[in-house]
Amino acid sequence: DSPIQYERVGADVTMKCGSMDWDAAVTWTVNGTDIDESHLNGSYLILKNVDLSQSGQYSCYEGSSWHLKYQTQLRVGTPPKEPVLMCRSNNYPKGFYCSWHLPTPTYIPNTFNISVIHGTKDMVCEKDAIPKNRCHIRYLQLFSTVKYKVTLTVTNPLGKNYTTATFDEFAIVKPDPPESVVAKPVPNNPRRLEVSWQNPSSWPDPESFPLKFFLRYRPLILDQWQHVELSDGTSHTITDAYAGKEYIIQVAAKDTDIGTWSDWSVAVHATPWTEEPKHLTTEAQITETTSASTSSFMAPPTTKICDKGAVVGSGAVAVCWTAGLVVAAYSVLFI
Amino acid sequence: SPTGDSWGIFTFLCAALCNLPALPALNCSEELGAGQSIQQTYDLTRYLEHQLRTLAGTYLNYLGPPFNEPDFNPPRLARAERVPSATVDLDLWRGLTDNARLAANYRAYSRLLCYLRVLDGQVGTAELRHRLAHFCASLQGLVLSIGGVMSSLGYPLPAGPAAPPAPPGAPAAPNDFLKKMDDFWLLKELQTWLWRSAKDFNRLKKKVPPAVVTLRLEARGF
Repeated sequence: DSPIQYERVGADVTMKCGSMDWDAAVTWTVNGTDIDESHLNGSYLILKNVDLSQSGQYSCYEGSSWHLKYQTQLRVGTPPKEPVLMCRSNNYPKGFYCSWHLPTPTYIPNTFNISVIHGTKDMVCEKDAIPKNRCHIRYLQLFSTVKYKVTLTVTNPLGKNYTTATFDEFAIVKPDPPESVVAKPVPNNPRRLEVSWQNPSSWPDPESFPLKFFLRYRPLILDQWQHVELSDGTSHTITDAYAGKEYIIQVAAKDTDIGTWSDWSVAVHATPWTEEPKHLTTEAQITETTSASTSSFMAPPTTKICDKGAVVGSGAVAVCWTAGLVVAAYSVLFI
Repeated sequence: SPTGDSWGIFTFLCAALCNLPALPALNCSEELGAGQSIQQTYDLTRYLEHQLRTLAGTYLNYLGPPFNEPDFNPPRLARAERVPSATVDLDLWRGLTDNARLAANYRAYSRLLCYLRVLDGQVGTAELRHRLAHFCASLQGLVLSIGGVMSSLGYPLPAGPAAPPAPPGAPAAPNDFLKKMDDFWLLKELQTWLWRSAKDFNRLKKKVPPAVVTLRLEARGF
C-alpha cells in the first residue's frame, strides 16, 4: 500500500522516482494515465501550483523494464482554518453539549480534540456517535460561579488550528423548540384557533425548571406576526383570527429565568371554523327526506352515525340503537 | 343528613380560622398567604437580578480593567470562600427540605447584605453610593420576605450575622488588587444566588399547598 503524501493547494511539488538517478529514463503515470514529458525534469516529476484535481496515485516506472520504482498517493488539501465551536445546554440542569465544524473543507482527513476546564478541574466531554463532531458533558455541580472553558483543536497533516469558548453555566441554556404543536379551529367560533403543544422532550425537569413560551401567528396573506408570551401552560386560544383565513403558527420556549429562547417550532397551519353555506344544507336535507320515505327501512344518510368506522363513543351507539328500534317499530306497523 | 354534617364541619373550620389571629406565631392571613408570599419572594429575586445587572456593570467599570472585561475569568482564591456560595451538588439541591432550602437562602442573603453594606461605605462616586444604597434596601426586603415565608411555615429563622463581616482569622485584603478581587467575587456570588433563588422558589411554589392550614391545626392539637 503506497504511502500518502499531503501537499497544500498552490504548492510546487517535486517527486523523485525512488532511488533512480536524475538522468534515468522513467515514465510517470497518474491513476494509470501516462504523464507528458513536459512535466519532467530529468526523472523528477514537477507539479507546479497544485490544485485539488491533481490528487491521485502517482507511479514511476523504469523506462525499458517497466519496473515499478516508486509509488505514492498525493492528496492536495489545505491546513485547517479556525474551527467553529458552539456549546449549548438544551437539557438543563443535566449538562451541555458542544458541536463544531470547519468553516471551509480541507479535503484531507482532520482530527478534533476537545478539552473542557471548569476552574481548575479538567472535565471529560464524551463524544457522541451520532452526530459526529459533537460531545456532551454532565454537570457535577449546579449554580456555579466559575466559567467553563472549552478548547477545540483541529489537526491535519498540513497544519493545526484551535478555538476556545468561555461561558457561564447560565449563559448557554437554550431549550429545543416545543414539540407536537397542534392548531385546531373551534366549532361555532369563526375568530378562534386553539393551539396546544408539548415541552421539548430533551428538557428533563419541567417541574423544577419550568418553561415559558412565545407564540407567533399570522394569516398567510400578511407578513406581520402577532405575538403572545405565555408564562405557563401548554395551550392558548387565539381569539382575534380573521374569519376564514388560513393561519401559520409557531411556538418557542425558554427557561422562565435563565438563558435564551429556543428556535421556532415547526410551523402549523389552521383555518378558523366557518359556517357551512346555508342553501347547500337545505337542498341536501330535502333529497334525504324524499329518499327516506321511499326506502323507509334505511336510516337517513346525512346522519352517518351508524356508518362503520364513524361511530365514536356510547352516545353515537345509543342513537344507532334508537334508529334501529324506530325502524323495527315502523316495520312491525307496515307488516 | 350527609350535607348537614359537611356544613357543620365547614362552619367549625371557619370559626377556628377566625380565632387563629389570637394565637401567637400562627397569623391566619400569613398562613393562608404562604403561597402568595413565596410568589412575592420569587418576584423580588427577579427584580433584584435585573437591578444587579446595572449595578454590577457600573461597579465593575469603577473597578476598571480587567474586572470590567467580559471574559475576565480569574481563578478562585481561598480567601474568596468567605462569601457564601450558591454552588451545590445537583442531587443534594433536589433533596433539600423546604426548611433547609429557605434557610440556605436566608443565610446567604443576610451575609451578602452585610458585605454589600461594607462596600457601600467604601466606594468613591456618588452615583455608585446611590445605586448600592438602593440595592441594599431591596436586598434587605428580600431577606425579610424570606424570613416571613419561614415564619408563616413555622420554621425557625437561622441566626443572622451578628456584626459586619471579617470572620476571625481572615485578614482584610492586603492590597488594592485583592480587595477588588473580593468585590468581583461578591458580585458574582450575588448574581448566582439570585439565579439559584428563582429555581429554589419555583420548587417551593409547587410544594407548599394551601392545605398546609389544616395540617397546622392538627399540630396545635385542634
